[in-house]
Amino acid sequence: MAVVASTSQPHHTLWGDAFIRLRRNRLAIAGGIVILLIGLGAIFVPLISPYGYAKQDLDAILQGPSWGHPLGTDALGRDVLTRLFYGARISLAVGLFAQAIVLAIGLPVGAFSAWVGGRVDNIIMRLVDVMYAFPDILLIILLRAILGGTIYMMFLAIGLVAWVNVARLSRGQILSLKQQDFVTAARAMGASGHYITLRHLLPNSLGPIIVAVTFNVPRAIFAEAALSYIGIGINPPTPSWGNMIRDGYDVIFAAPYLMIFPAIAIGILMLAFTFLGDGLRDALDPRLRR
Amino acid sequence: MRKIAVSSLFAILVTVILVFTSACGGGGGGDGGGGPEKTVSQVLRVNLAGEPATIDPNKASWAGEYTPVWQVFQGLLGFNQDLTLKAVVAREIPSVANGGISPDGKTYTFKLRPDATWSDGTKVTAKDFEYSIKRLLSPDLAAAYASFYFDIVGAEAYNGAGDKDETTKAQLKNSVGVKALDDLTLQITLAQPRPTFLQLMALWPTYPLREDIITQYGDRWTEPSHYIGNGPFILTDWVHQDHMTFKANPNYWGTKPKLTEIQMKMITDVNAEIAAYRNNELEISRVPTGTEKAIMADPGLSKEILRYPALITFALQFNVTKPPFDNVKVRRALVTAVDRVSFVDKVRNGVGEPALSWIPPGMPGYDPDLGKEYQFNPAKAKQLLAEAGYADVSKLPEIKFQYADSTGNRLIAQFLQGQLKDNLGINLTLDPMEPKAFTTLVNNENYDSAWLGWSADYPDPDNWLPELFGTGAGNNHTGYSNPQFDALAKQAKSELDNTKRLQIWAEAQKIVMADAPIAPVFYREQFVLVKPSVKGLKTTGMDGQIVGDLFLADVYLTE
Amino acid sequence: MLKYIIKRILWIIPVLLAVAFITFSLMHLVPGGPWDRDKQLAPQVVENLNHKYGLDKPFVVQFKDFLWNTVHGNLGVSYSYQDRGVTNILLEGLPKTATLGIIAFILAILIGIPLGMVAALKQNSAVDYASVLFSTIFASIPGFVLGILLMIVFSVELHWLPTGGWGGIKQIIMPAFALAAMSAAYIARITRASMLEVMHQDYIRTARAKGLSERVILFRHALRNALIPVTTVAGPELAFLVSGSFIIENLFSIPGIGRLFVQGIFARDYGLVMGAILFYALAVALVNLIVDTLYAVVDPRIRYE
Repeated sequence: MAVVASTSQPHHTLWGDAFIRLRRNRLAIAGGIVILLIGLGAIFVPLISPYGYAKQDLDAILQGPSWGHPLGTDALGRDVLTRLFYGARISLAVGLFAQAIVLAIGLPVGAFSAWVGGRVDNIIMRLVDVMYAFPDILLIILLRAILGGTIYMMFLAIGLVAWVNVARLSRGQILSLKQQDFVTAARAMGASGHYITLRHLLPNSLGPIIVAVTFNVPRAIFAEAALSYIGIGINPPTPSWGNMIRDGYDVIFAAPYLMIFPAIAIGILMLAFTFLGDGLRDALDPRLRR
Repeated sequence: MRKIAVSSLFAILVTVILVFTSACGGGGGGDGGGGPEKTVSQVLRVNLAGEPATIDPNKASWAGEYTPVWQVFQGLLGFNQDLTLKAVVAREIPSVANGGISPDGKTYTFKLRPDATWSDGTKVTAKDFEYSIKRLLSPDLAAAYASFYFDIVGAEAYNGAGDKDETTKAQLKNSVGVKALDDLTLQITLAQPRPTFLQLMALWPTYPLREDIITQYGDRWTEPSHYIGNGPFILTDWVHQDHMTFKANPNYWGTKPKLTEIQMKMITDVNAEIAAYRNNELEISRVPTGTEKAIMADPGLSKEILRYPALITFALQFNVTKPPFDNVKVRRALVTAVDRVSFVDKVRNGVGEPALSWIPPGMPGYDPDLGKEYQFNPAKAKQLLAEAGYADVSKLPEIKFQYADSTGNRLIAQFLQGQLKDNLGINLTLDPMEPKAFTTLVNNENYDSAWLGWSADYPDPDNWLPELFGTGAGNNHTGYSNPQFDALAKQAKSELDNTKRLQIWAEAQKIVMADAPIAPVFYREQFVLVKPSVKGLKTTGMDGQIVGDLFLADVYLTE
Repeated sequence: MLKYIIKRILWIIPVLLAVAFITFSLMHLVPGGPWDRDKQLAPQVVENLNHKYGLDKPFVVQFKDFLWNTVHGNLGVSYSYQDRGVTNILLEGLPKTATLGIIAFILAILIGIPLGMVAALKQNSAVDYASVLFSTIFASIPGFVLGILLMIVFSVELHWLPTGGWGGIKQIIMPAFALAAMSAAYIARITRASMLEVMHQDYIRTARAKGLSERVILFRHALRNALIPVTTVAGPELAFLVSGSFIIENLFSIPGIGRLFVQGIFARDYGLVMGAILFYALAVALVNLIVDTLYAVVDPRIRYE
């Protein structure tokens, strides 16, 4: 009896394991903390900053960093640091919610297509081809004409054009996993398609998908910057890092810092998401016994 | 093994691509100047800022299109630097005194110079002008500026005959009041007198064209080898989307240009343009909006600045059919609540001039005393609002301000929003749109308030007032209607005495400013950089895409 | 396999048709038309223009005409560039955009894959962190930001390179780099991630236990498997790059079709946009086909039915 007890193992679940492993990864934790800090800053900026994001000070136009304005002022005398934190709200929201839409559509479509295979797979992939070949910008312009320059338009616009990549990725993953032995074994044991997909395939395929998503969050932020650049971004005076970069770009020969600060902000957020994403991937990968 | 295969594949690909691209070399770039030579290279490099849709004089309607036209073609009349008319291909400006204009003002007779020639040596005849003007009016060409010439007898009827059969069209074309009486005489008959008609004859849609060339080559006639003109330059090369090259016309009948070559590049990004200028790839460059102060502070660049007023006014326009803008007091309140002076001085670094009335300085009809009651006065603005019933601004409906998204417009929009918030407590909702969506919105009068910019087609109030403020006029999108204004406009359109005419327009402008369907904000000032080697540049308020492009034949380069 | 490829090629036609129809509809649904401008044209002129370009015909007829013309090789006229046909315009611009895209792609691969591999092999070392830093920095700079910074450094300050245009290596190097940077970083990350995954697989341990040299393991086994997710993303990356980065082409004045395409949408240039769409859709479909085929070649476990 004692012998048996000492050879039994504690109960592990995939997610429980993952959490333990994640906790040990210091970079990932650092990334998470940075994201948290930026998020908190974004939420509490009205309490911290003496300036509103739209408060113009025509006597303080295009000034470099100073004590009153640690990151300087823009072309209408507004405080850059304050706008940067307000902009974080938009950028974080766009990054996360657009990705949410991407995952919500892309994952199931790709997984379903790969699991079912055959004609259904073919048709779905051809539909994906149509989406791919489609001029995203046209769709975005139309969306904007209907919804105006609101943040919801941004989520939808970016999410709707980006889900195809995740669909292809998840399909690719499932396809290659489908052939693996453990799947055959599960099927032999009588497991249903749903069960196999949810319990085995998806978690195993999550690795590259998570990496792709953590990269896509900043990509969504860039998409927002690119859209702001060509004039179909979020309505001013709401600051987003995208339209702050655009504003800075317009006067780069006069005040380069205006473009550089939001670019650095995106970089920091990007690093944070990268480390966090890596950590998540490592944590979720059952084969990495480190 | 795979590794070798893969890497050699890459290497081959890379080599192929590199060979490809270096083989595509030649042309482009155009770093002029050359080395130290005895004579200075007379090659002027400027930026056309984009590929023109067409360079057919009849069809051209945007600055980027008529700027090339101006180098290669010349019309009966042209503009001096002070915007008065001069005779170019015509021997003299027709007037009642010299018999060029009939006493009733309806018949114009132009006598051509006998020595005017095309660049291939053929003589320019009155038939070339008759052909061009009739082609301009033809419904099949669908030229944008055709409607400017509807005063000509039979013009409108001909232009409207698009769906008729060929015989009818030919008949209508024949009845258009433009006739070449002989090789050197052109007669134009108008349906009603139009005092500004001579100015219209100085514009590019009436430039002469070669019927033989266009008939032979059709749409392809604008290619460099067939693009024959009668002006100081010829188009020798056009690399699409990249650049156009003009060389001096050796057969030019007038004073030959000192420049040997003009290169017009097509850099669309303003930052790239000024970078090119600073890298010595261009002689003239625009300046990104907002950086003027930094340029003025730069020791080197500040010496290369060229500034002059452009004939362009920017204003806030109201939809007077929609509340709250249907109340003139509300409109006046908003006009008075904007601190234009601060905008120009602080935000725009002093580039431009605050505007209190519609017609800009430099245009005949400019009234410096008009609009003084709209000078910035927040207290007065609040009072006006109260008188209109909006002492409590929360009672106002949501006001949207719509504009086409661009660097300058973004600045002005946010500025206006700040002003209205600070001075009146009104929250303006900003709605930037892409250009076409914006113009449709305005043209369909679905907006609350919008940004309006207006530039001169020709230097006369005729071009600035009736179209915008006449009841139901083509460009009247404010919904403004004042029978008094309409009456004055009708009078002015047919008044042949110029002084009287301008007086009538002055009265008309006063009416408009009192009713305030628009709130002028500022007049634009051109602010460009010009290399010190460029001499003889003549700028006017009517310049096209490039500063001084009406007179590039007078430019020359020194060391 | 061959049957599969043929089937895919045949499928391209309905895909193109669907894309064409959706685009055509969207172009006519967005507000504003090609003749709208601030100084509105006289109604008579607009009527003449619509008649000249067939825009006064019913929607279905217009689409039918478009299809008919396309099948006969005539892609119609452009309103933005009136004296040349769309086919002409596209044929001139396409090679330039494609060349730029391909060079950028090659740069991205040449930088990204080795970087990712090295980072994976020397995990958690200085090299790994440096590569992460590099890829993060370049992935966090939008194309037009990097582009203008490059232009400022190399053209305005150093005067080493021209600011743009088309004609040789000097002109293409900055735009290609600006275009490639983000992709390179992304590819490096993906490569690292999947290399790591693969390196820890059992069969790799087996190979090591069998005594195979690191090199053989790396290139014969690990790399090939690690490249699978890379090929998945490389396809869309290439399509994205080749589709013409409007922003880079605009900044460096590259006479390609990327610039034309977006400008055409803003200008409601139906002819140009439809023509460009077809080119683009065809290119994307072909690239996807190539990628999927490579996928099957690289990973023998994948079967296509």
